[in-house]
Amino acid sequence: MSQQEKISVYNLADLKNTTDDAIPNYLNSLGFTQSHTLSDVRLGLGYLALLTAAACFAWDYQLGFEATKLPTAAAVALYAVLNTALTVWIFFVERGAVYVGTSPDGRARVRLTSASVRGAVPEYRLTAEVSDAATGRVRETVEVRRGFNAWFDAAGRFVAAPFQVVLAGQVGVIGQADPKRREAAAAEGKGTTGRVVDESVSAGYTPEMLAALQGAEATGAEAEAGKKGGKRRKA
Amino acid sequence: MHSSWMRIQNVFSYFTTVLFALGACIAVSDLLTPRAPVVNSLKFTNLQVVRGRPHYYSSKHEEYAIIKFSLDADLSSLFTWNTKDVFVYVTAEWPSSSSASANTTTNQAVIWDTIITAPSSDYLGNYGPATLKKLRKSAAGKSIDPSRGKLVLKNQRPKYQITHPSGKIASTEDVTLRLHYDVQPWVGVLMRNHNVDVGLWKKLEGSVSRTFTLPSLKKKDEAKKAKA
Amino acid sequence: MLSSLGNPRQAAAQLLNFGLIISTAFMMWKGLSIFTDSSSPIVVVLSGSMEPAMQRGDLLVLWNRNIWAETAVGDIVVYSVKGKDIPIVHRVVRKFGVGPKAKLLTKGDNNHSDDTELYAKGQDFLERENILGTVVGYVPFVGYVTIMLSEHPWMKTAMLGIMGLVVMLQRE
Repeated sequence: MSQQEKISVYNLADLKNTTDDAIPNYLNSLGFTQSHTLSDVRLGLGYLALLTAAACFAWDYQLGFEATKLPTAAAVALYAVLNTALTVWIFFVERGAVYVGTSPDGRARVRLTSASVRGAVPEYRLTAEVSDAATGRVRETVEVRRGFNAWFDAAGRFVAAPFQVVLAGQVGVIGQADPKRREAAAAEGKGTTGRVVDESVSAGYTPEMLAALQGAEATGAEAEAGKKGGKRRKA
Repeated sequence: MHSSWMRIQNVFSYFTTVLFALGACIAVSDLLTPRAPVVNSLKFTNLQVVRGRPHYYSSKHEEYAIIKFSLDADLSSLFTWNTKDVFVYVTAEWPSSSSASANTTTNQAVIWDTIITAPSSDYLGNYGPATLKKLRKSAAGKSIDPSRGKLVLKNQRPKYQITHPSGKIASTEDVTLRLHYDVQPWVGVLMRNHNVDVGLWKKLEGSVSRTFTLPSLKKKDEAKKAKA
Repeated sequence: MLSSLGNPRQAAAQLLNFGLIISTAFMMWKGLSIFTDSSSPIVVVLSGSMEPAMQRGDLLVLWNRNIWAETAVGDIVVYSVKGKDIPIVHRVVRKFGVGPKAKLLTKGDNNHSDDTELYAKGQDFLERENILGTVVGYVPFVGYVTIMLSEHPWMKTAMLGIMGLVVMLQRE
């Protein structure tokens, strides 16, 4: 998928979006069940607004302005309401969530949110909120900050393994589902199931480490080859 | 490629935002400049009602009135850095005969108008080269020329003869002359004269002449009869 | 990026973004129409008949409600008459009577004669219903783009194409 294609490493929005896109692939391959409620509501509100505008355009085109003032006024009001609702939904409910889902064992609910890139700092800021699936109580909130160069090569190709190691190493639930990556993270000498961690911006992988990770990737992929979604992860 | 396109977009949208903000600021700055236009005198000097074709392109014969007037007004305070031009016009107003009791003016017609350009828009005006040169000279080095907007007219011939759709206008009662202006900004809101103070903008004082009655139809008729 | 088209939700979201930009622009225009009660609340000056006040390409904001005062002599109005598609921006110079049936005569500041010739056959005066709105706001030059676009239709096609492509390709 998107990992295959090269992006401009100077385009921060592209860096973030490509990274965002990799999260569902990885987590779903681990057996997480993704919930699409957030995006479905957003799409519903949006398309309803679009439909309102289209209807308004149609009758305005057919019958003219004078004859359709009242319905047009109503449509404008409805469109404003829908658009406001959409904005509220995006800013206060979705809050930049890139993945909402339940862990393979069904006990934990994760919500991953990535902050939009600010200024010219090439840094990925991910917040993982893990809550109890049954009670909804928040168990832990982990904030991960890493330079994009930790998983993008100089040519702008996304390399999945180091990114997955970061996730597995930092977020407990993901680590549980992917012990191999968690071990790799531990081997790296960084905090394992760290709480709020303030990483240095550049992770600085040595070539040997990358080689080791590639090995882990290969075995991991083989081990899961039978599972659904395994090929996605490999990329 | 992608990011350079985005940069062009960003620069363009920033540019337009700044431009619009600047325009809004300029438009609002008008409100902070006091205006106190005043009409010192406005009166008719000669009245005439004749029957004939008011214009070369009129199709029918009808009565029309020619109102000569004198005017002394100082509208120079309407000229600010955002003033493009001021349209000044004199109207004749009279109530309709059927509802004479009602004090509302129901008939209104421009009898004379002029466009006073600000020095910044002289080049746009419909002037001959000589006039333009004179205007340029008078405003040399100034963005606001205080001599603009001072109007002194003596026994001015009207530019437009007034008529009424009924074809009759002779002996009309309760006619008044009124001076109006319409300020055209370089950017912002068009502002006509008003009868109450609006912020720092004073109402236009003395813009209405005393009432008069148009004469009965004669001159041209008599002249025609004399000829015949 | 285009690869997202493999994911139906993301494709739908991208299409939605594109649609919302267009529909929001359209609904803002309609909202302004309703607010000003004018089918065309913003117009572009097409001729020089109101010079020096207005040049070709200037943008005018219209208001078509008579809340505080009726359309009066001295107002610059935009009107259209039967049988002529293009609205005209001129100044009211005469008004006889009151209310919606008042007879209005218009003239361009820069024209020598009044507009009687421009009206429909047999029409000597305008009525309120001919008027699309009174000019209340003025922004110079901005509308020149639309004159360019209507005089050179290929520019319109090119612009729409580029806009569509940009919106489809970028995501933020």
